[in-house]
Amino acid sequence: MRLAQLVLRSFRNLVDDALEFPPEGVAVVGPNAQGKSNLLEAIYYLEVLRSFRGAPDRDLVRFGGDVFRLQGRVVTAENDAPFQGGRPERTVAAAWQRSGGRKKVTLDDVETERLGDGVGHVCAVLFTPADLALVDDGPHVRRRYLDIVLSLSEPGYMAALQRYRQVLSQRNAALKAGGHSPQTHAWEPLLVDAGSRVTVFRSRWIDTMAASFSRIHEEISGGTGARMTLDSGIPGLPEGQLELEGVSEALEVALREARDRDVRLGTTTVGPHRDELLLLLAPGEGAQDVRRFGSGGQRRSVALGLRLLEAETIRRRRGREPLLLMDDVFAELDEARSMRLLDLLHRTAVGQVILTAPRKAEIRFRQEGIERWGIRDGRILR
Amino acid sequence: MSLIDEVTREFSRLPGIGPRTARRLVHHLLRSSPEEGRRLARALDSLVDRIRPCRICGNHTEEETCAVCLDPKRDRSTVCVVESAFEVESVERTGQFQGLYHVLGGRLSPLDGVGPEDLRIEELLRRARDGDGEVREAILATNPSVEGEATAVYLETILRAEGVRVTRLARGIPVGSDLEYVDGSTLAQALAGRREM
Repeated sequence: MRLAQLVLRSFRNLVDDALEFPPEGVAVVGPNAQGKSNLLEAIYYLEVLRSFRGAPDRDLVRFGGDVFRLQGRVVTAENDAPFQGGRPERTVAAAWQRSGGRKKVTLDDVETERLGDGVGHVCAVLFTPADLALVDDGPHVRRRYLDIVLSLSEPGYMAALQRYRQVLSQRNAALKAGGHSPQTHAWEPLLVDAGSRVTVFRSRWIDTMAASFSRIHEEISGGTGARMTLDSGIPGLPEGQLELEGVSEALEVALREARDRDVRLGTTTVGPHRDELLLLLAPGEGAQDVRRFGSGGQRRSVALGLRLLEAETIRRRRGREPLLLMDDVFAELDEARSMRLLDLLHRTAVGQVILTAPRKAEIRFRQEGIERWGIRDGRILR
Repeated sequence: MSLIDEVTREFSRLPGIGPRTARRLVHHLLRSSPEEGRRLARALDSLVDRIRPCRICGNHTEEETCAVCLDPKRDRSTVCVVESAFEVESVERTGQFQGLYHVLGGRLSPLDGVGPEDLRIEELLRRARDGDGEVREAILATNPSVEGEATAVYLETILRAEGVRVTRLARGIPVGSDLEYVDGSTLAQALAGRREM
């Protein structure tokens, strides 16, 4: 999958433009604060329909403007699965208007019924130096990682997750208002239904991808593998491959047994909202939590590994070669790790790459093979 | 605020009417004969004065008891439980239901501070208890939203305790629609609830 064209209107500091991207990609080189990350933010916005930096939409409109609009034309590569109806290309556009606060998303000029229908059409994976937080921060960032990867690859995941969240906030409100009562317990079957689906989606993905995760880490670190497991927020889950029925039963029992505590605390203490994606160094016995025991280099490798795993998921589940967006990622890696990562990318990432670097010397990937663009005050120089 | 603005605002509070449509309605009324506006005002006036909830089922009626509850031909052993009187009309239009109704006046939503005591649930239980076993089946026809489902679960618990048979409307693919356009979760539920042919 590749981005053929990006049309920018009033986005951040970027000058309005229609950029035509070469099939193999481009390296955008320029000093800091010129708009390099804004360009990647714009492209990735079309994948997830929000800012990867967590910025609210109103902050994305150019200063003094009312509307921003982004339009991308994506084209499938030779071995990619075609779009619906066998079409080889698709145009995704997103616009947000400050007055009214409305977001409009169109696919081939037709407005999507729900925003969720508009995500995942670019097949992009974004690497940034901030990815280290995937390892260093609390369990919620790894749940969000799972949520994004699964929403983009598993039909039905996002709907189950949204339903789970809605029921969860209703049950929590009921616990505070009603204590022990049939009207509080009435939310449990719904929580079991949505929560067990979310859990099974997550555990299946982790099971399927665990071997790739270990292999990727082995290659970047040049030695040990790594392990990824689900530490479920549902106590008493059966061992091994999780099936919907077993998970439903376990969640039902767990919710019933937690009732006293939940009423006392006024919140639901069991369920997938308490999941943790455990990342362990060295497979097998004595594996250690990367977050607590990993060195700086190890934590960075694992974080990169999670992004590469995201790319692998797109290849497998969507049948398309992902578009890689790399925001100055080599700056933070030591020499040996950079070399091994480059080697891995050379072998596995055969699609389009759009990367940024502050100086020419820091373009580490595809130095020879891709065009170079400059950037100054938000204007792309090509 | 001018009178025109005030009336425009009142219109735009109605569901499905945005500020533009509201303005168009106001200007339409101003252009039409004064009688048209007065007729609307009188109709609205009597609507809010004369329509009240049926003392038995909560459906809209101008009398003390609604026409459905008074109809001797209706089957008194089956009660269809709905969130609002709007849904009574929908079910009636099908012409397929011969039983009685019970209007809850909403659905459970702790986030909005709506509990069982805010709905006409006590009245429903009384109908189940005092009818000398006349009510044998309750059809739960609350909406398939998260809140509607939880309301159904709650009603099932308390109605079963009264010895009433409890059923729920089936969920699935809308008649006349194309499978291609049915959303995933609806299709999944339709698969789970498939029937032997």
